[in-house]
Amino acid sequence: MIARIRANERLFYGILGFVVVLAVWELAGDLGLYRKSLLSTPSLVWTAAVQDFGSGTIWPDLRTSGIEFALGFISALIVGIPLGFAIGLFARVDDTVSPLLYGIYSTPKAAIAPLIILVFGIGLESKVILVFLLTFFSIIVSTVSGVRAVNERHLDLAQSFGASRMLRLRSVVLPSTFPFILTGIRIATGRALVGVIVAEELAANEGIGHYIELYGAFLQTSRVMLGVVLLGVFGVALGEIVKRVEKRYEVWRPEIH
Amino acid sequence: MAGELALSARGVRMEYRDRASDARLVAIEKMDLDVRDGEFVSLLGPSGCGKSTFLKIVNGLIKATAGEIRLRTNGKGREDAMVFQDAALFPWYSVMDNVAYGLVCAGVPRAEARKRAAPLIELVGLSGFETKYPYQLSGGMQQRANLARALAVDAAILLMDEPFASLDAQTREIMQAELLRIWNAARKTVIFVTHQIEEAVYLSDRVVVMSARPGRILDDITIDLPRPRGLEIKRGAEFGAYAERIWKLLTTTRMSQGTA
Repeated sequence: MIARIRANERLFYGILGFVVVLAVWELAGDLGLYRKSLLSTPSLVWTAAVQDFGSGTIWPDLRTSGIEFALGFISALIVGIPLGFAIGLFARVDDTVSPLLYGIYSTPKAAIAPLIILVFGIGLESKVILVFLLTFFSIIVSTVSGVRAVNERHLDLAQSFGASRMLRLRSVVLPSTFPFILTGIRIATGRALVGVIVAEELAANEGIGHYIELYGAFLQTSRVMLGVVLLGVFGVALGEIVKRVEKRYEVWRPEIH
Repeated sequence: MAGELALSARGVRMEYRDRASDARLVAIEKMDLDVRDGEFVSLLGPSGCGKSTFLKIVNGLIKATAGEIRLRTNGKGREDAMVFQDAALFPWYSVMDNVAYGLVCAGVPRAEARKRAAPLIELVGLSGFETKYPYQLSGGMQQRANLARALAVDAAILLMDEPFASLDAQTREIMQAELLRIWNAARKTVIFVTHQIEEAVYLSDRVVVMSARPGRILDDITIDLPRPRGLEIKRGAEFGAYAERIWKLLTTTRMSQGTA
């Protein structure tokens, strides 16, 4: 009961924050405190949204960005999680792979983005690769730290009862690593979004990054803002989904505030 | 059955190599110990006397440098089961699944393991808490689950490594009495490690007193107090005499070793 009231309260204040910012933005524009042609206003952004969603012209951009995001992100999970387990469990794999990974990680991706586009073209591939490069490292790092954080006593206990290697992995290592992987995923979603947009703004024919870039060139700032707002909504929605998954799989963990 | 040896240890020696100085440290010098079927034996001593190490050797978690340990098999499942110091329950498992874990390790299907865990949860007094997670339990209740898990595999010998060390004094007393009740019902051989004199005397048929560095047996004292024992026997003169005798033994040894 109290938890529900608290949740409603959170929602209320969350919305209140948005409303205040939007109201100030709108008012400042109407009062002529800045040039509307540069920063637009919420009502103009809304008009643009109604137009572009109404005519359906924005859907292909959304779909393209979504596919790029999903493919890059999922491949990062597919490669990153098993590799993270391998690094965490086997010292030799760690010794061989980790220096290489840190090398790749230390290179600013924005610096190699033009090269990736040059090699893989301006289509889907270059974006997926960039998203992958930006995200798989956080997935690996969080998986490795999860494997390393496994409680020695829990392993002792499993061994004491004669658990097989496979059972030890399933009953001890996997569940205690899972929350770490989720944290990695949460960090990675933000980076993946950056990857999509940077790649699209550099060179693309479709996608939200391209949409923003295109209308920026035409000084249609309402549409630029619309693109930014859509990205924000997408980011918040993703974060919320990860949080839900965390809750669902961590019934055993007391809530920490 | 009575009088038959459940455990027989001969010349058990444990050495460590100290990483920093590369010197050999002797954790257990030379240990002989016989425990009869159904007996409750405590290993008592200061920290560093190798009592927990001995338990881990019996359990097979670590390998002794020398010596031999023989466990009598009961022909059904494991010979020994460990009750760990901190309850070491899996936080991601419910009480039921934690208690069933040893059986799952032994290859029992999960549904069957749960069915067999149920009566033990009842025995340790955790009925109604089957679906709770460890963080929802008090320290005493976690130790009850810990005990139930060890009982579930139906091993002949229970190895208990200071299971009540982290409990507050009152809960500890309650758990001691509970342990005797459960021991009486389950008819197991128990090897109980503790550094508390009073706890060892209250629980045991025999108290094996050990000294530290190197760990060796100082004395093996039979506690001839009637059972069942209520907590009130702790106030009795006989109980006091046993406790006093062991206390003197430990202090004089420490003094002569110059480590007091």
